Parts: sequence; C-alpha cells; structure tokens
Amino acid sequence: MSNASPQPVCGAIVEEELQLTLVELCQACHVSEQVVITWVIEGALEVVGDVPQDWRFTGPSLRRAKLALWLTRDLEINPPGVALALDLLDDIAALQAQLQRSAAC
Amino acid sequence: MKFKDYYETFGLPRTASQDEIKRAYRKLARKYHPDVSKDPHAESRFKALGEAYAVLKDPEKRAAYDQVGSQWKSGQDFQPPPGWGSDFGHSGRGTDAGEDLDQSDFFEALFGRQARGTRQPNEHARGEDQHTKVMIDLIDAYRGAQRSISLRTPMLDAQGHVVMRERRLDVSIPKGIRAGQHLRLAGQGQPGYGKGSAGDLFLEIGFNPHPQFRVDGRDVFLDLPLAPWEAALGCSIPVPTPEGTLQLTIPAGSAAGRQLRMKGKGIPGDPSGDLYALLGIVLPPAGSENEKAAYRAMAKAFDFNARPLMRGDPP
Repeated sequence: MSNASPQPVCGAIVEEELQLTLVELCQACHVSEQVVITWVIEGALEVVGDVPQDWRFTGPSLRRAKLALWLTRDLEINPPGVALALDLLDDIAALQAQLQRSAAC
Repeated sequence: MKFKDYYETFGLPRTASQDEIKRAYRKLARKYHPDVSKDPHAESRFKALGEAYAVLKDPEKRAAYDQVGSQWKSGQDFQPPPGWGSDFGHSGRGTDAGEDLDQSDFFEALFGRQARGTRQPNEHARGEDQHTKVMIDLIDAYRGAQRSISLRTPMLDAQGHVVMRERRLDVSIPKGIRAGQHLRLAGQGQPGYGKGSAGDLFLEIGFNPHPQFRVDGRDVFLDLPLAPWEAALGCSIPVPTPEGTLQLTIPAGSAAGRQLRMKGKGIPGDPSGDLYALLGIVLPPAGSENEKAAYRAMAKAFDFNARPLMRGDPP
C-alpha cells in the first residue's frame, strides 16, 4: 500500500531551529529520563536551564545522545566513559576537519 | 530473498558462545560505527552487524535462526519454511533510537518487526519517534530539494499479526542544511495508540561524496591545480563551484598550499559558508626536446636554490 502525500512535508532543523526538552530527547532516543539525566550530570550532554523540567538541549545534543545510547547499550560503557568517548570523538572530528582544510592536491 | 549467514558476519562458527558473539560484535561495531569509522562501507557494514547481533544475542531468536539456518548457505535464495510463524514481533522490545527503518527482508521474513504492538503501552499513548537517514547531494544543500522517502511502518492487523505498511513521504529538504544535521518531521513517526498522537520522524542528513568538493560545516573546499607559470605570473581561470563556474583571479606569486577564499560561496545560511580553493602546483613533464630546453632556460634564468636550508648542495 502506498499513499503519496500531495504536498512535501517540511521539517525543522533540530540543530538550528529547535531546543528539545528532556521529554522530547527521551522520546527521540527511546530512553528513560533517568538515563539522560545521568549523561547530563556526567557531562556527556550539555543543557541550558537549571532543573530537568526547564532543560533545553540544543545543537549537537541529539547526535550525541544517539551516540551515547549506542556506547551505553552495545559497548556497556558507563556514563563517565561515554562522556570521555564523546569528547574524544569530537576532538578527532575537529582534527580531521582541519586536515581536510589543508589537504591540497 | 537471499539467506544471510549471521555467523559469517562475525566470522564465528555456529558453535560460538554468547560471550564470543558479544565480543565479536563489540569489536566490529567499534570498527564500523559510522560516527567512528572512516571506511566508505561503514554504514552498511554496521547495519549488517546490528541485524546479525539482534538475532544472535537473543537466545530465543538464535535458536529459531539455527533451526532454519542449518539448511542454508549465505547468498542462497531463501524462503521461510512452510508453517514458519514469525511471532517474534509480539515479544520484541521496541526499536532502538538510531536504528534505521530498513532491516533486511530476510530479517523481516524470519522475525517480523520488533517495533509495534510490543509494549502494551497506555491505551492512548503517543506513537514512537522513528529515525532514518537520507543522503543528499551537496547541490541540494545549496538550493534546497525534495526527496521521496519510503517508510515501512510495522502495524498490528485485526488478528494481532505484525504487518508492514509501506508509505511514501515527500520531504522538503531546506536550503542550507548540513551533513550530520537532523530534520524533525512532526507527527510523521509511528501512529499513536488509541487517541494518542503520532510520534515524530527524525531524518539524519548525509552528503553523497563528491569527486571535487569536500565539506566541513558550511565551508566547501576544492583542490585547484595550477601550472607553475600560472602560479608565478598570476592568471584568471574558470573554477567550478557547486552552483556553476566562477572566474577566479590567481595572484602572481601564489605558492602551493595557499587558500583562496570565495566569500559566501559555501553552503548558504546566516552567515553563509565560504568556498576555498586550495592551490597546488603541477609540474609539467619534460618529455620533448623543446620542453627540456625550456627547463634548461629556466635553470639559467633563475638564481634559485630550492633547498636554502640544506647543507651539501653545491654553492
């Protein structure tokens, strides 16, 4: 069965236009609030706001949370290890980007 | 449909212990996770690993797979045995975030889908969010685009069986989007339960590799080879950009490795990215007698030491 929608669906760019709440981030990643709160406390995710009810997740939070979930679930890394791995991966990505910028023919 | 040898995916014999399977999965998953690996086939390898692990880590599924699998070899045409009831759809634990919506037909034939109707949630619970990845071309980020994506949503039919409903969705890809960003399509995820609202669909954007351009954030890079005289004397040359050709002035005395910035010619946005031409100098081969003579004339004309800091050269 196939039903094409007449108008293309427009979405919002998560990293630029949205600030996800704790509930939204948990729904997007299919994890409990407690898991996300632990990631925040350990520094794996950055938030704006003081208490979990007011937290807003911006920029790379969704990508980091998806990665954190994989590291936690499949590699059984604990939250401080997840925070470290995410930071190291970001560092590597930044270095690779720098290399790419200067790689002439 | 081809039979998939999940043990072969891990390079393990059928007699492997659960621990061996776990270790093999972790080792390979670390190697091929798309966020970690630079292997061009990482994405598909990782997907295959995830699917194989979903079956072999679960003793119940593994036993069922072993029962079928002993009669087949990898790549053989496969049909589930008659009477095969894929009741696994009812006992699964739901899809995990980041898992794509496209498990193989083989997996679905054996195990159905794990996502839907499995949690016995509240009567009117919200539908789950879904994730998938969409590959676009760099030019789509410059101009915006439309993509038609095909989603397979597992549903329970009237008899309580998991059936796949296919649906096409035309998505507008906004101008200025970058690789690694996500589009949230509200209400396009799994339908809600009862009167619950539908979940959201998250599209992760990836760029198809381009033979000429590299991308970092909004900035785009291009290698620009020059002949020695073009770099030395300066010139104006046509340069390809994702949006068409531009005439670029190369200043006299340009060295290899120099970057020329074309402001605002990167991926559009606020602010727009820049397009950088990375200059390289290509040495023409001295094949013919004329060409050799030209090099000799150069050697004579220049008072030039290519290695001013090295000892051992003649003065």
